[in-house]
Amino acid sequence: MDVRELAMQQLKTVIDPELGINVVDLGLIYDLKIAGGQIDVLMTLTTPGCPLHDSIAGGVKRALEQIDGVRDVRVQVTWNPPWTPERMSEEALRQLGHFS
Amino acid sequence: MSSVFPTRTGTETDVRLPFSFIMFAVLAFAASQLLLLWAVPALSSGAFRLPLVWAAAHLGLLGFALMTAMGAMYQLVPVAFLTPIWSERLGFWQFAVTAVGIVAFAVSLAAAPKRAFLPGLLLLFGIVLFVWQMAMTLRQQETKTVMTLFVATSLLFLLLTGAAGALLAFHFFAATGANHHEAVFGLHVLFGLCGWFTLLIMGFSYKMAPMFSLAHSFSMRPARYVYALYISGIAAAFASLFLRSHAWLAAGAALLMSGFVVFASHIRAILQKRMKKTLDRPFRFSLAAVAIGLALHVAAFAAIVVGSGRWLGIIVYLFIVGWIVFSIIGYLFKIVPFLWWTHRYSEKVGQQHVPTLKQMMNERAVAVQCRLWLAALSLAAVALAVASVPLLAVAQTLLAGLSIAFAGTMLAVFRK
Repeated sequence: MDVRELAMQQLKTVIDPELGINVVDLGLIYDLKIAGGQIDVLMTLTTPGCPLHDSIAGGVKRALEQIDGVRDVRVQVTWNPPWTPERMSEEALRQLGHFS
Repeated sequence: MSSVFPTRTGTETDVRLPFSFIMFAVLAFAASQLLLLWAVPALSSGAFRLPLVWAAAHLGLLGFALMTAMGAMYQLVPVAFLTPIWSERLGFWQFAVTAVGIVAFAVSLAAAPKRAFLPGLLLLFGIVLFVWQMAMTLRQQETKTVMTLFVATSLLFLLLTGAAGALLAFHFFAATGANHHEAVFGLHVLFGLCGWFTLLIMGFSYKMAPMFSLAHSFSMRPARYVYALYISGIAAAFASLFLRSHAWLAAGAALLMSGFVVFASHIRAILQKRMKKTLDRPFRFSLAAVAIGLALHVAAFAAIVVGSGRWLGIIVYLFIVGWIVFSIIGYLFKIVPFLWWTHRYSEKVGQQHVPTLKQMMNERAVAVQCRLWLAALSLAAVALAVASVPLLAVAQTLLAGLSIAFAGTMLAVFRK
């Protein structure tokens, strides 16, 4: 498994505790740049002023740091473009009570 | 070596600060409900202005509602307004001053109302410190929103409510002010219930409702009309107190009702845009409080038009419990688990499995409590309407029991 796949797998362990859905299925991860032992993450949250800002962004950093060979993880939270529900996966929508 | 930039907002508050306020509040709530049990015979006859009722009402409104609002604001203002608290050190001092002031004030109201002035001044000092703290914090906010307007105005009303309360206590202390005591009392109730609590709950509902329902792409334009109508209503009702005009009072009640109707419709419109189909029980309870608030605004308008003072007293009691206290209970069911989760698990996200916020509380117990709160309020409303002492005693016993169960549920979060 390459580092990108490993990283996505790790990110799926970071759950938004209010919604119970991981950050990948929520569509919060905008970009992942992997170069050598460094990962740069560009991500967002469902709303600016989210009380879970530090918990989720910090969780993303810690999850990626656990990958063998990763020395440096940099996480940047952006509001541009803002998150939209269209970014969610079918699994996230199902967990939110859609399709039932 | 790894670095994080700039993931930390740098706005989070030391959780001990909001916790201090909220734990004091939960215990004061149980105490106020137990005190009210003693006042059941007087309450059922429509006599609300008695020392014991004053003490219980102020322990409930100040000890529970005000302290919860203060604690919640120490937590929510930094995250919702992206602005750190101006001085956390001042926050702890403000907690101490306000807590001592509330206890001393409630005790003196029950035992010797004439001596309530000095503890009242201490309490007022605590309120002034809080308003100063929040004013300095909000000043730092880069982009002001309509929420800022609601919250800043509510703070101004908190200050005016406290000042009016101190003036009332001074009337007793110095045996003076008979000519305008009634007007100041009306102002104290109006500013406290509508200006402070209602505007504050409305303002934060605009943050909480979309957040808890994952609502998206909704308009915030109606919030301006809510603000304009509600403030005009408070102004007209305020004028009626000094003009002694029934027409102005009716106009004020009509405007307050219209503002609340627009607010309730706006919250409904926001929820129609939600992505989360099944809403949590605590949040649904807060929404039930909005429906109760709406019904009581309509009822208050009707009572004022027909000139029923007895009904207005009952409506004020139901407004405090059904709108203000229920809104706060609903949001506390969300805020307390969040605070404890942040303290206990925030740094473990991404490293190990952590519980969701829902798992921080016994959901079944919360569901039962929410239903019982609504049943107890309905029973109290019927008891007050038919002036039945035994029925009110049952309702108040249920409310007192529920307030203890609520305190237990909150304390149980700390075992998670």
